Amino acid sequence: MEQKKYMNPYLGGALLGLVLVAAFWVSGRGLGASGAAKSVVVTGVKTIAPAHVEKTAFYQDYLKTHTNPMKDWLVFQMMGVIVGGFLSGAIAGRLKFTVERSPKITNKTRLIFAVLGGIFFGFGSQLGRGCTSGSALTGMAVLSLSGFLSMAAIFGTAFALAYFARKLWI
Amino acid sequence: MGPLVVYEIISENVNLFLAFIIGIGFGFVLESNGFSSSRRLAGMFYGYDTTVLKVFFTAAIVGSVGLLFLGLFKWIDLSSIYINPTYLWSTLGGGVVMGAGFIMGGYCPGTSFCAASIGKLDALAFIGGMFIGILIFTEGYPLWEGFYNAKFMGSPVISEMLGASRGFLTLLVILVALGMFWVGEWAEKKFARDDYKLNQK
Amino acid sequence: MKARMILATALVPLGLIIAAVPENTTKPYKLTAEQLLEEVKSGTQFMQPDEIADMVIAKDPTLQLIDVRAVDEFEKFSLPGAINIPLVDILSPEWEETINQDVKINVFYSNSSTDANEAWMITRQLGYQNNYVLQGGVNYWAETIMNPQVPPSTSPNEEMAKYDLRKGAGMALGGAAETTQPSASAAGGGTKPPIQKKEKKKKVQGGC
Repeated sequence: MEQKKYMNPYLGGALLGLVLVAAFWVSGRGLGASGAAKSVVVTGVKTIAPAHVEKTAFYQDYLKTHTNPMKDWLVFQMMGVIVGGFLSGAIAGRLKFTVERSPKITNKTRLIFAVLGGIFFGFGSQLGRGCTSGSALTGMAVLSLSGFLSMAAIFGTAFALAYFARKLWI
Repeated sequence: MGPLVVYEIISENVNLFLAFIIGIGFGFVLESNGFSSSRRLAGMFYGYDTTVLKVFFTAAIVGSVGLLFLGLFKWIDLSSIYINPTYLWSTLGGGVVMGAGFIMGGYCPGTSFCAASIGKLDALAFIGGMFIGILIFTEGYPLWEGFYNAKFMGSPVISEMLGASRGFLTLLVILVALGMFWVGEWAEKKFARDDYKLNQK
Repeated sequence: MKARMILATALVPLGLIIAAVPENTTKPYKLTAEQLLEEVKSGTQFMQPDEIADMVIAKDPTLQLIDVRAVDEFEKFSLPGAINIPLVDILSPEWEETINQDVKINVFYSNSSTDANEAWMITRQLGYQNNYVLQGGVNYWAETIMNPQVPPSTSPNEEMAKYDLRKGAGMALGGAAETTQPSASAAGGGTKPPIQKKEKKKKVQGGC
């Protein structure tokens, strides 16, 4: 089935900017994603291995500032993202279970690299205190040094490695 | 007067509800722009699709201008918004690791959730990997605690570091961004691919 | 192509306007007496001993404790990592960089809250930010952190958690039975249970 066209990127960017401003106006902070994933991970660990959480300093510290990790701004925001993405996909006729990949690789290769990429991104987002949306985009909007630095580091590295990963995409 | 939460105009629960609404807007805009497609995202790095650059920087400059105008009209107190702190080494180190993850996985955390919501299985795999990555970080925290906290620089804002006003710096960023958009559109023509169609308005 | 032009025609003029507007409309400078009164009334300058103890133990690099008591009192006892700026010297140019900055969280303390609060009032009126006052001063610190009281067992969980935290903090900071004028047993060193830093009050918590 013919998909609807994507929105014009400049229009989309302007709308995204307005969403970002709304987030600042409501809560004083911008958008984010990896923080929600962290809440889920900590909650998961807590449910599966409560004894382990008891004796690990990191979780104790985290839980001290986040009494209930799931009742968190970013968790609610990410639930919204899932709903919003689904709505847009439904309107545009893009709802479909599929593995998206370059024609030159198999589904298996694509999935393996997706997991690998996820591991790297998950780890990096914690180390860098935020991902593309939380650190780079939001940080740039408030002109913070760390926003520009993480933007440069993320995109710089991806460009530098693009040649080695070209088979995955082109 | 905003931010609403800081001035206690809305309660915590209303704040969470608004987070959900804002999230819907975020997800809707991401998906409508094709951020749910990893090949579109990765296209950025090969020049055949620079949507990421355009959306990302347009959002940053609109956000930046928007915040300054809200501040000017006293609708938001710019001194109480969150400025992310700079820990030089972990900001850079984290960014490098994320960049590697980006080129392998084709998503970033926000876009992977968005893509998973319309049924992309590679995005689900990416999310699974992301949980593992975060778990590695939390479990091994003592190993990188030193690096994580090294070279703390406060929460510097570039305009202040350069001694320029925020407005002036924003203008500069706008001009730089417009220049990059021009390069991006040129690249899309130069690196266009037969097996990939830029399907947008 | 066309969209880029539309974007440029919209954003460049807006950028020019915002660049032309003088900065001080977007950034608070010196406070008027009324504004200061508002801040005093709301008491946002006070930080609780618990918050400070957390930060001290976590060796939070953003924290700078400033002892505004006289030199001899400072030498007798001070909080870990504190520097001494006696109240009479608060306006001396040599300290200006320390108290007028936006990297660290400065926390003034004295024996009670009074002198520290005066230091805060003076600096705040100059428009300096990031200065705070340790609620209750050294005396209250000794009571709450060094010798915390067990809350009644009917207390809400929060109270119990607070007590546990204080007990831990007190031990880590080398206190056990110190009194209101703790003697020379300087509270430095000690093993530290790593406690994650807490966000400064009224500051929103960050991105992802």
